[in-house]
Amino acid sequence: MKPRRRDFARALLRSFSVQGSWNRRTMTGPGLAFALSPLLARIHADDPAARDAAIERHAAAFNAHPYLTPVAIGALARLEYEGEADDTALRLRAALGASLGAVGDQAVWAGWRPLCGSAAAIAFLLGVDAIAAAAAFLLLYNAGHVALRVWGLRCGWRSGRGVGGALRGMPFRRVAGTLVIANQALIGMLAALLIARLPGTGPEPWVLAVAVLAGLSGYVVPRRLSGLASASLLAACAVWFL
Amino acid sequence: MMGIELSPGAWLIACVVGAFVGLDEVSWPQAMWSRPIVAGTLGGWLFGAPAEGFLVGAWLEVVLSRHLPFGGARHPESGPAALTAGAATGLAATGSPVDVPAAVLCGWVIGWLGAYSVRALRGVTARIAGVPRGARDAAAGLARRHGLAVLLDGVRAGLLVAALLVPSALFVRLLSTQPPGVFGPAWTPALAAVGLAGVAGVAARALAAPRRRWPALAAGALVGAVLAGVSA
Repeated sequence: MKPRRRDFARALLRSFSVQGSWNRRTMTGPGLAFALSPLLARIHADDPAARDAAIERHAAAFNAHPYLTPVAIGALARLEYEGEADDTALRLRAALGASLGAVGDQAVWAGWRPLCGSAAAIAFLLGVDAIAAAAAFLLLYNAGHVALRVWGLRCGWRSGRGVGGALRGMPFRRVAGTLVIANQALIGMLAALLIARLPGTGPEPWVLAVAVLAGLSGYVVPRRLSGLASASLLAACAVWFL
Repeated sequence: MMGIELSPGAWLIACVVGAFVGLDEVSWPQAMWSRPIVAGTLGGWLFGAPAEGFLVGAWLEVVLSRHLPFGGARHPESGPAALTAGAATGLAATGSPVDVPAAVLCGWVIGWLGAYSVRALRGVTARIAGVPRGARDAAAGLARRHGLAVLLDGVRAGLLVAALLVPSALFVRLLSTQPPGVFGPAWTPALAAVGLAGVAGVAARALAAPRRRWPALAAGALVGAVLAGVSA
């Protein structure tokens, strides 16, 4: 039986907890099966044994970016609906997991999220109220977040086994590249504003010069300076007593 | 004066909010109210200091943003950490130059403690998640197990805040009420500023990898410095 609109709505809502039972053995697999359940229940409405077998199959190991998992949910539901052989679904799962993970990590975790966070923090430092800045971050960020999930579920269901081609046609890489450049500028701006807002920081030229050197060093040799956060914070607290 | 005023009711509310903030990071719904700027503001707002909480959150945003959650990599848990740091600022800060570094340090430590607690919980989740082979009514069983895993994550985050809110507030209070030494008032903000600049460089590189986009970073820092001068 073909899934109804409310089945898709339930799958979409469940996709928000797709990493709820994330673990190193099956990763997002159980969450994927949990989100797929309303669709599988409709597709296999006449055959509970087939439904249980499908749920068990889809609870196996799977990992992808959580916001793009609805693409996999839609595509796998389509394959189940069309009665595709199990190995087709398994191959699609394996292929989708890696590509959705890579695309989502770059576009969302390294792109959209820091962009929205830095923009909200800069707005606050330039005088916007703290609550308003935090609320603006949530609204802006989640407009993109929810739109991505809705698009993903539609794209997956419409494309079915051809979802790989549909994803290749999307400008994810170009968007991620633009977001990365914007993020560089915003992080630089945020750091400068934060340093200026720190109580007790005067316009001491030597402090600013060393800060610029530290920023460049962090960029050039990030591994060597990765412990800088803990060390500098600890030192800043310790020298208070000197 | 060393003490802080915290009623059991306010402590309990902070723990419940901490549970929801911790849940958001991975389990549900990943709407990012666990980001430091939101969680820090929430923590500060609970104790009457949303702006101070936001400021601490913004520092943590830079400090923690070099850790990206790619491929299940271990990274500090930002939500309960920023909430506790923001709440500690609201409870204990006095406007001293050491307030922000002390609260951010608390947040950084709690972030890593949170990461280890998440790792431990995932060992438990591996045993309860999934569908037993050949199970009847697999959907209901799966939903129960999935729901239990989500619930446990919320409890874990709430307990983290419950255990660390008072020690964090006392730490910030202890530092902010101590008379500084000769070098303290100048060196504490200077070291914090240099550390933040270094971490911002590391974070920018992590976000840009594998390419290098340092001109954009430098241009942003320059614009920020001009804006800071204009708005001062």
